[in-house]
This record gives sequence, structure tokens and C-alpha cells, in this order.
Amino acid sequence: MRYTYFPGCSLESTASDYDASARAALRALDGELIELPDWNCCGATGADVLSYLLSIALPARNLAKAQLMGDQIVTTCSSCYLNLFRVNAHLAMDAELQGQLDVVLGEVGLHYDGSMRVRYLLELLVTDIGVKAIARRVQRRLGGLRVAPYYGCLVARPYAEFDGPDLPTSMDRLLTALGATVVPYVMKTRCCGGVLMTTQRDIALKLVGDLLAPVRDVDCVVTVCPLCQLNLEAYQRNVGSRLGERVHVPILYFTQLMGLAFALPEPELKLKANLMGTDRLFSRLGQASAWV
Amino acid sequence: MPEKAFNLTREMLDHSFAETVAPDREKLLTCIQCGTCTASCPTAYAMDYTPRQLVRLVQVGMRDEALHSRTFWLCTNCYSCTIRCPRGIALTETMAALKRLAIAEHVEGPEKETVSRFYRAFMETVRRHGRNYEPELLVRYYFSTNPFGLIGQAPLGLMLWRKGRIPVIPKGVKAKEEIEAIFRKSLELDAEKEHRR
Repeated sequence: MRYTYFPGCSLESTASDYDASARAALRALDGELIELPDWNCCGATGADVLSYLLSIALPARNLAKAQLMGDQIVTTCSSCYLNLFRVNAHLAMDAELQGQLDVVLGEVGLHYDGSMRVRYLLELLVTDIGVKAIARRVQRRLGGLRVAPYYGCLVARPYAEFDGPDLPTSMDRLLTALGATVVPYVMKTRCCGGVLMTTQRDIALKLVGDLLAPVRDVDCVVTVCPLCQLNLEAYQRNVGSRLGERVHVPILYFTQLMGLAFALPEPELKLKANLMGTDRLFSRLGQASAWV
Repeated sequence: MPEKAFNLTREMLDHSFAETVAPDREKLLTCIQCGTCTASCPTAYAMDYTPRQLVRLVQVGMRDEALHSRTFWLCTNCYSCTIRCPRGIALTETMAALKRLAIAEHVEGPEKETVSRFYRAFMETVRRHGRNYEPELLVRYYFSTNPFGLIGQAPLGLMLWRKGRIPVIPKGVKAKEEIEAIFRKSLELDAEKEHRR
């Protein structure tokens, strides 16, 4: 199955490891991500502060272009997912908005009326492909690897399209299918601070400390969002000094764990791009995993 | 947090304020002040008015007090309040509308200085390339706030670059004129709407 893929800006920079492993994991399941040609930034959390209409029109350009390739679009970034989904939700609520969007997109010869289906890669994997098919593809069970599933905010909020808004389970099920041991994690949808890490560092460090404190001893935290990944990974020294204890936890993407379980080669998973290092993870894997 | 008392008969009230900042004015007016939003908010502890109190200010039309609050600048867009509100109030959307209004009215404040300048740097970067490019975003942001902050960010940037996580040149959109047209037309329609009001 071929899917129109909207990577988003992070996936070609700080989250290039997510991009590589997402493409590879899906390929291993006989799927293919076809990148939307000449896509643009979804506006993230910034467009809405400059202009509400712009926060609709920027993602709508991508949706209008994707419409020419099929009836659905897949994304791997939580902020992109929210913004694309939000276009549909707001067009359905607000008739006046459609008229304004027509004027803006008309400037570039495009039209969009809210009919595309917006999908999250995690959603596609657990619903369309299914956890059973994923389990069948596993070549190296991640036996006993203790992982904390961290979903962040926007996977399930505010639209709750494919999972619960507070305690989602889709990634838990997927990781279990890979053979990993998913630890209970009540902070799984608490906010990582987002851009406050740059603008209001103290607050964001507190939030990340709250997230990491209960899972300091796991083998890795698994994320679905590029900004969550970076916030949790890049400031662990500062978080540690706040908590008064050393914090050193690899933060991986769920697609990288899929790749490990599928025995895909390093160039496709880019685990070496991890700032926390993965030596400890690999030594744990060496002890715990079992080849199928 | 010290309690503040207001005598509403002496306050300048703006009765159309809720309409200005809430896409769902009717819903916002039904707020029962239960405080679920505040209890759900990860940054409420650092705010001057809690989310619940801010809704009250909007309800009664205390425009200046609301716009000078630091509350909406600390909103991370996590949507916890929105999803849990028993009245279904889209509070996250209202927080964004308050940011827009505070910028339009040049309201000053330390949080606004950092947060709004970050967003401005971000949107300038996106307008230029069609996509975000972190090095340019951070240079724009720190030069508009505190250039020395850039030095603090350098080790992380270098580490990410060595790991292949920062592209040397921005990829960007090819059809840059389309991005510019979308920016220009959206802002133009916004200005017309503002003018009619």
C-alpha cells in the first residue's frame, strides 16, 4: 500500500532519524511512504499567533496538493497532525472560513474543501496494518526491554480520532507486539513544554523533569513526536541538576524500536543519531532479546 | 497567589470581549468555574491568573486585566483543558486569540517579549523558506531578544549537527511565490476584517 506522506520540517532536520526509520519500518511491512512534492510548513504553533486564517491556509495548501494523489495523507509529527486535522474540523464548523480559504488558495490555483482523511503513522500501523501483522514481521523479539511509552499531547488531543485523550494505548500495544515490556506510565500524555524550552526554559525544564523522574530506570522512553523527542533528550543534564539526580535515558522513536525488532540495518534506523547513546540499550538487547 | 478583588461597577467592562477572543462565545459564557482547566494545565502553577480565572475575566469583559496577564503566553497548546472542559469550551483557541490581540495592541510584558518574538522569528523563517530552518530561527530569535543566548545554544546545535540532525543548507519549498502569496493574502483578509470591526 502506498501512502501520501507529509514529513514536516523537523523530519528533515532534528528528527531525520524518525524520518528514516518511519520509511524503513513501513517498507518492511510492504507499505510505502510517498513524500508529498514541495510540501510546506504546517505553521506549527506559530501561524495561529500571527493570523488565524494563515494557520488554516498553510496546512490547507498541503492538503490541496495531496488531494491530487489520493484521499488520505499520513504524517509523523504531532504538530503537523493537529494542524492538518484542524483544517478539516474548522471548515466543518465555520462556513465563512471556507469562503476565506477559497480566496487565499485561489491565489495559488488550489482548492480545498475538507475532504481529505488525515492519518497519523501510529494510527495507520495499529489500525490498517494491525498489531498482529506487525508481530508476525518481528525477527528479534525485544524480550524484556523495559520501555516507557510517551505520547505527548497532540496525538490524541483535542481530536481523539484513534485513541483516548488521556491514557492512549495504541503504542503500548504496538511495543508489546515487538516483545518489549511496557511499563505503566501515568505521564504518557503530559506536555513536554513545546517551544517554552526556548522561550521560558525554567518552566519547560520543570515539565520535562516531571516526565523523566518516574522513568529514570527504564531502558528507553519511546516517543511519536519530534519536538517531544528533542525536549526530553537534549536537556537531561539540566533536568538532572534540578532533580538532584543523574538522568540518562535514551529517547527513541517507536519506529526505531520497530526497526530493531524487524532486524533492519543501522543506516535505516539511525540510532547513532541519538544524543544519549544507545550502548546500554544494545547491551540490554544482547542479554534480553531472542531471535525468532 | 494573592487574591485580588474587583468592584465590577467601577471597572471598564468590554461586553464584546468574549466575542473577540472566543470562537464559541456562547459556550464560554456558560463556564461554571469548576476549575477543571486549571487542574489540567501543566503550566498553571507559573501563571498569574489561572486558566479558570482568565475565563472569568473574559466573561465579565475585563479586557485590560486579561490582556496584561501572563497566562496565555505560558499556554503550551497541550489541549488538556479543551478536552476536559465539561462545557466544551475551546479554551486553547481562546489562548491563541488572546496572544494575537495582545500583539496587535502592543501589550508589553516579559513573557510576551520572549514568546511572541520566538513566534515572529519562526514565521519569518517559514515565510522566507516555506519551511522551518532551526539555525535561522534561533539566530533570528536570539538576535531579537538576547544575542548571548545563542552562545548557550551552540553546544547543543553543534552536537546535533555532528549527528547529522541539522542540514547545512535549508531545503525549503521550491514554489516560494506560493508561500508568499498565501502569507500576503491571509494577512490582507485579516486586515480587512479588522477594519470592518
